[in-house]
Amino acid sequence: MTAYVVQRLLLMLVTLFAIITLTFFLMHAVPGGPFTSEKMLQPEIQAALNAKYHLDDPLWLQYLNYLRGVLSLDLGPSFKYAGMSVNEIIAEGLPVTMKTGALALICVVALGVPLGIVAALNRNRWPDTLVMVIATIGVAVPSYVIATVALYVFALRLGWVPTFGLDDWRGYFLPVFALSGFWISFIARLARSSLLETLQQDYMMTAKAKGLKRGTVLFKHGLRNSLIPVVTVLGPVVANLLTGSFVIEQIFALPGIGRHFVLSITNRDYTAIMGITIFYAAVLMVMIFIVDMLYLVLDPRIKYRADAK
Amino acid sequence: MTDRMTDQTVAIEIAPEMWVPATRDGAAAEYIAAPSLTFWQDVRKRLWANKPAMLGLGFIILLVLAAIFGPMLSRHTYFEQDLKLSNVPPLFQTYAVTDSAGATTRFFFNSGNLNLYEVTPSGEVAGLLRPAKKDLIKKQQQFKFGDREVVLDTAKQQLSFADGAALAPGGWQWNMSNLLGTDQLGRDVLARQLYGARISLTVAFVATLVNFFIGVFYGGLAGYLGGKADTIMMRIVEVISTIPLTLYVILIMVVFNSGFLSVVLAIGSVYWVDMARIVRGQILTLKQQDYVAAARTMGASTPRILVRHLLPNSVGPILVTLTMLIPSAIFIESFMSFIGLGVTPPEASWGTLTSEAVETLRAYPYQLFFPAAAISLTMFAFNFLGDGLRDALDPRLRT
Repeated sequence: MTAYVVQRLLLMLVTLFAIITLTFFLMHAVPGGPFTSEKMLQPEIQAALNAKYHLDDPLWLQYLNYLRGVLSLDLGPSFKYAGMSVNEIIAEGLPVTMKTGALALICVVALGVPLGIVAALNRNRWPDTLVMVIATIGVAVPSYVIATVALYVFALRLGWVPTFGLDDWRGYFLPVFALSGFWISFIARLARSSLLETLQQDYMMTAKAKGLKRGTVLFKHGLRNSLIPVVTVLGPVVANLLTGSFVIEQIFALPGIGRHFVLSITNRDYTAIMGITIFYAAVLMVMIFIVDMLYLVLDPRIKYRADAK
Repeated sequence: MTDRMTDQTVAIEIAPEMWVPATRDGAAAEYIAAPSLTFWQDVRKRLWANKPAMLGLGFIILLVLAAIFGPMLSRHTYFEQDLKLSNVPPLFQTYAVTDSAGATTRFFFNSGNLNLYEVTPSGEVAGLLRPAKKDLIKKQQQFKFGDREVVLDTAKQQLSFADGAALAPGGWQWNMSNLLGTDQLGRDVLARQLYGARISLTVAFVATLVNFFIGVFYGGLAGYLGGKADTIMMRIVEVISTIPLTLYVILIMVVFNSGFLSVVLAIGSVYWVDMARIVRGQILTLKQQDYVAAARTMGASTPRILVRHLLPNSVGPILVTLTMLIPSAIFIESFMSFIGLGVTPPEASWGTLTSEAVETLRAYPYQLFFPAAAISLTMFAFNFLGDGLRDALDPRLRT
């Protein structure tokens, strides 16, 4: 167990190293420097800028410097926002993204799982059909379409919620809805099929035959076992909620990291792109790690070992 | 106890010939009542019986045909602009004005850009009507039809004659020159939609194919070699799968600059991990089979065993993964295009069409409908087909 956790942590470090390396060299493969623009800079200014940001160093030295920076949690200066560092950009956007992301995650779990359970327990009756129809639509319609349509109907036409920003608590409704829509549907479908499969297991019949109460059978034996596949996908769900925020934050004009990332792409702000990518990757790996550890609590049958040969 | 049983006992009449002992017939026991089906015949039969899956397949075939032949048949091209006829809706309410000389003019009012367009009797949009006089203070425009005068109140969005009598609409008319209307640059929406289908589907199919080859090659090799090589190769897969791949698609797009080829490259080079895992799992179980040992004793080479014996037998799960990869590739492509990293204008994909429609959402909300519907229906179709294929290929569900 401890050996497994240590191995996982080591693997995370390797992955992070690979990500930093890959991102660094990808960004340096982009033709043109960060200060190439329509307006030609005078060579002296160009040289001064390059010297200030150490862009005249050989590539390996730049790489080592960057690596050292990342290790000391310094992602460097932004090339486009003068006087602002990538750390500051992330610190500015993080609370917004985290808040909407966390709310969306709560929605996914709090709505997706019960919907799936209701559908499975009423198999082939109207609640099942209703949930499945909604879930199929939710999986098929892209989030940005849901977002724009919801924005048009609820904000522009009906005026129930503000069209942008999070100053008002009602402003959270639409972004969270658009962000979580796909995953609520996905989790509902998954929970339904998983619970249906569990209900057919022999131990369910044993539990029933022992004369346990319906609630006990369902919750202790049925649900707990059927939720394992749901927990498995929660890691990727967190990942996708974060990357999904690119579009959602853009549409609702929320000042989160996703919007900064898209902006830095359109501005070709390479250090910002690089820094935010690495930050994202690190957050996601930690999330996936936490989710993997959650299995242990949920399913005593799973025993993690460090690759026993 | 006995009393209750006798109460419920019902006399059943059994005919005497039922008591005759059965004859054992060796030939009859060997007779196979149902025709024997091979695995693939069985799969085809069950897939055929699955209505949503067949509906999905039918839709996909129609879509592919439309994407190939549609742009050839269309009167318009996807890039041809006509700024005078921009944002024309597919369906409008026409008005008719007859002057004293008897000449009738049919026209419609576009509430989005406050213009009047002349309409021919067959329903084609003939062109923009120029106001004779614009009164910006009163927010009114005057139009002259022969000797009649029509006043357009742009604030109230009302049409009336010069004497104040309101114009009565003369019924709905489908736009016959641009069946789905035009976009903000006056390009035909139908032509762009069909062209977008071409791009989106090509991106999806080619990217999936690239994924397929990388994944099958990688997973097949890892599974077949086994041992140390397998461990190392799967470790790499593990590392890759913890990386948020959408970010890498974006990074690759930034490096290669947006365009059709880089979208394909970016999506194709990143999403092969699942395929590799599935192929490896299949190969690992299959390579223990006797026929592989037989092939090896007869001197078949590793590539030959892999390509001729192992891969064909794992085609089922591969097929299911492929059908699920295509819609996610369409999704990713539209996602990329939406944040401005997709194909470059004037080329169109469903993603760019959606993002263009979102720009004009306030004035022309209906423009979002067509690209959004196209993506969603395609998603439905592929999901249904994939689910159906998985069910049909599942041996546990075999009857």
